[in-house]
Amino acid sequence: MEFRRPANLQGRPPVAAMLPRPVVPLLPSSSASSAVRVTGGPCNTAGSGGLHGNLHVSSETLTVTVASPTTFSANAGQRRRRSSAAKQPPPNLQLHHDSSDSRSRLGTTSGLSARSLGEPLPTIPGTPSPFDNKMGSRSPSPRPGGWSSPGLNTPYDTGGRVSPMPGFANGSSHNVTWESAQARSAEVKGYGRFAPRSQGFLGKHFRRISNSLPFSYAEKEKLGRGRYQGSKPLELLRHIGRSLWRLRRSVGVILAVLLTVILFYVTPLHRVYRRSIGGGSKFVVILAVNQGGGVMEWKGPREWAIERDSVKNKKKYTQKWGYELELVDMSTKKRYAHEWRESWEKVDTIRNAMRKYPHAEWFWWLDTNTFIMEPSYSLQSHIFKHLKDVTYRDINLYNPLNISHPPAEEYLDPETRSPVGDGKVDSINIIVPQDCGGFNLGSFFVRRSVWTDRLLDIWWDPVAYEQKHMQWEHKEQDALEYMYTNQPWIRPHVAFIRQRKVNSFPAGACGEKGDNPEIHYQEKDRDFLVNMAGCEWGRDCWAEMYKFRRLSDRLNRNPWEKFKDWISDSFKGMRADPKKNKKKEEQKKKEKQ
Amino acid sequence: MHFAMPPRKTSRPPPYAARQSRGGIQIPYALRAFLRRDKLRTIIVAVLGFVAILWLFGFIGGRGGSSAAAIIGTGPPVVIVTVFDPRADAAWVEKIKANREDYAKRHGYLTFFRTDSQYPLRNSPASWAKVPAMRHAMTLHPSSTWFWYLDSSSLIMNPSIPITSHVLAPSRLEKLMIVNEPVVPPDSVIKTFANLKGDRIDLVLTQDKEGLQPNSFVVRNGEWAKYFLDAWFDPIYRSYNFQKAELHALEHIVQWHGTILAKLAMIPQDMLNSYVSGPAHPKNGQYKEGDLVATFPGCVKRGSCAEEMKNFLDILEKRAAGSD
Repeated sequence: MEFRRPANLQGRPPVAAMLPRPVVPLLPSSSASSAVRVTGGPCNTAGSGGLHGNLHVSSETLTVTVASPTTFSANAGQRRRRSSAAKQPPPNLQLHHDSSDSRSRLGTTSGLSARSLGEPLPTIPGTPSPFDNKMGSRSPSPRPGGWSSPGLNTPYDTGGRVSPMPGFANGSSHNVTWESAQARSAEVKGYGRFAPRSQGFLGKHFRRISNSLPFSYAEKEKLGRGRYQGSKPLELLRHIGRSLWRLRRSVGVILAVLLTVILFYVTPLHRVYRRSIGGGSKFVVILAVNQGGGVMEWKGPREWAIERDSVKNKKKYTQKWGYELELVDMSTKKRYAHEWRESWEKVDTIRNAMRKYPHAEWFWWLDTNTFIMEPSYSLQSHIFKHLKDVTYRDINLYNPLNISHPPAEEYLDPETRSPVGDGKVDSINIIVPQDCGGFNLGSFFVRRSVWTDRLLDIWWDPVAYEQKHMQWEHKEQDALEYMYTNQPWIRPHVAFIRQRKVNSFPAGACGEKGDNPEIHYQEKDRDFLVNMAGCEWGRDCWAEMYKFRRLSDRLNRNPWEKFKDWISDSFKGMRADPKKNKKKEEQKKKEKQ
Repeated sequence: MHFAMPPRKTSRPPPYAARQSRGGIQIPYALRAFLRRDKLRTIIVAVLGFVAILWLFGFIGGRGGSSAAAIIGTGPPVVIVTVFDPRADAAWVEKIKANREDYAKRHGYLTFFRTDSQYPLRNSPASWAKVPAMRHAMTLHPSSTWFWYLDSSSLIMNPSIPITSHVLAPSRLEKLMIVNEPVVPPDSVIKTFANLKGDRIDLVLTQDKEGLQPNSFVVRNGEWAKYFLDAWFDPIYRSYNFQKAELHALEHIVQWHGTILAKLAMIPQDMLNSYVSGPAHPKNGQYKEGDLVATFPGCVKRGSCAEEMKNFLDILEKRAAGSD
């Protein structure tokens, strides 16, 4: 395989030198050597007339003796050579010199192929070849009568430089010796005789193509000297890789941690965690559905849609944070329909929920017409971790009902007469938001406690109901207001919460404009929940629900969605701009006119 | 300098030095040395002890802080509450007061006397005043456990019996409790609970022939008492025109609200409220010698308490003189 190299070094025509190169690696050295021996024979010994016959023989012997796939390529190379050589005068000496030169070089540089060929170096005079008896002592041919030139027989070489070979083969009659060939080659300067022929596309352009390839064996060997010489970013990458490998323990630990975190959030594991250890199971969301339905009126498609959206919203929320969701069918039942208690079931349902979830602490009542706008807020982080800061005990801070707050009767104990009860978080048992008209029980919290048991027990009372049910429009809500006002034991355990923390109103409830900063939903503040209170009285519940659902979806897009929307928006903006400009122009024109 | 060669290594090389743990997390040498020392144990113990002490102090302080005024049960065990009609005969009022004070002195109890005009009743019958009066007594004596309302129409006839052990001790209450009895005789569907624990009872009450009688009842101090008294005193009941005012209101809330019924112990009438005359409970309502209390139902309304009680007051005076 190295035979071709000296040719290259000697400044042979580039095409001829380079062409065989890609073929070379295919050939095992052993097969190359065998090829040499076989074909060399006829060349020298027979010395018979034609190049044709000679080559013919060699090709035949090749095919016969060496049955490896590489021989076929060699064969092909020789055939090609034959055709071209027919037209060329024999340049035998020059070629001879070349091959000898290559051998000597080989001996110094690698030494491998020369030895593997099993031939004695021909340059050393007077060395008898063990095989050579008939021929002159100079002949290194392994076979009697045959003198082998490696250049001739190495198919790749010959395949590459087509023209010189036939020349040599042609002119090399049996009287050519090594010395004479050497002498002649010394006279010859250049290789002008052989204008390389066009040898097809590859032959013409191979060097250009191979130079433009991103890798080069030759250059690597010459310049790199075993060291890798890459581009800077590659070097940097390698450096990073190496240092990572060196730090594989610590990096591995970090990666493991990262992987754990990712797995924690990808799998439902985080829900389990939030539920049990995060205390999610301490919270129960009670959602009233089917309000006023059943006996009294049938639900239409809009009502179904509202209910579906509302339930879906809460289901998602409770699942995310590991809370319990209790759906309560509030349809007017026979049980209540002809009794005094009609539509006072709120109290009963809370008590049932307390029985059903014996380990839960806080119960959050929600009406159907509510929508959680920010599902990313947990109840703990939003309210219960800083209960003292988000709630207020003294109703005088915001007192739409004008309840005279600390009870003045002097027979009461100091705790009851204090405006803030005992002022401790532990004593808060119910958290109520206040809207423009007083307490609002569309969204409120109750805590499991003995006190709450008593409140829920006394909340509905037949005497109170009998006397007040005509004037208590909001039923249990009015009843709670009444009890708060008239039964002092309740006050130290009630805390109020700013309405927009848990119960923002849309425009239309408590003011048409929706601009009250205490009451109405503010998009920029990302309010937690919207309660479309009173939408069934002359407003469009479904439209409001739809609007807020869309708004919530939009506000809680993930970054990828935001990016997509930003692109589409900017396109829309670009499209809209010309229109605007046109409009402006039109307006200007009109103004001018 | 003096040695051309470095000194020989010892022929007995030291055993291999402990290899640092290459695998796990590398602990800085200083920290490792520190951890190895016994000092650390001392420090941990000291810190833990300090925290424990803090926690103990915090616990005690916290409990003290929660009811900064008083802890229930540290004061006199019983406070006897009586409300008088301000127009009543002063001499008779004094006699009644002396009757209570004598009893309270014997057993280390307290008395609490007020007139019904002191409380804002807003046109409701004066008999309602007992409810805010009880609340008032609890405000003024927050460390006492039991508050015994004894109407001015009653007399303590056997002052030697301490009410605490005679009636209010949990084991005694469990024995005395009348269970599964209609709250309002003869056939109310609401019956007293069957299995209540004596120490969970917050309200001790008697029943005469017609129903519950708030002439004489005992309430345990606490959150429940506030709830019960405030709910009872709700203006909606006062303005409702119950036929017998607070009595019917009481019967109403006991029957409708389980959280009240569950704290109520109904005991035989002669334990707390024996009738000298009137609609006594057929089984055990009539006054007999040795009963704690003798009641003259309705005498306040009739304005004839002084006359009706005369014989009994005389007996008490004689006994007092005899014992002295």
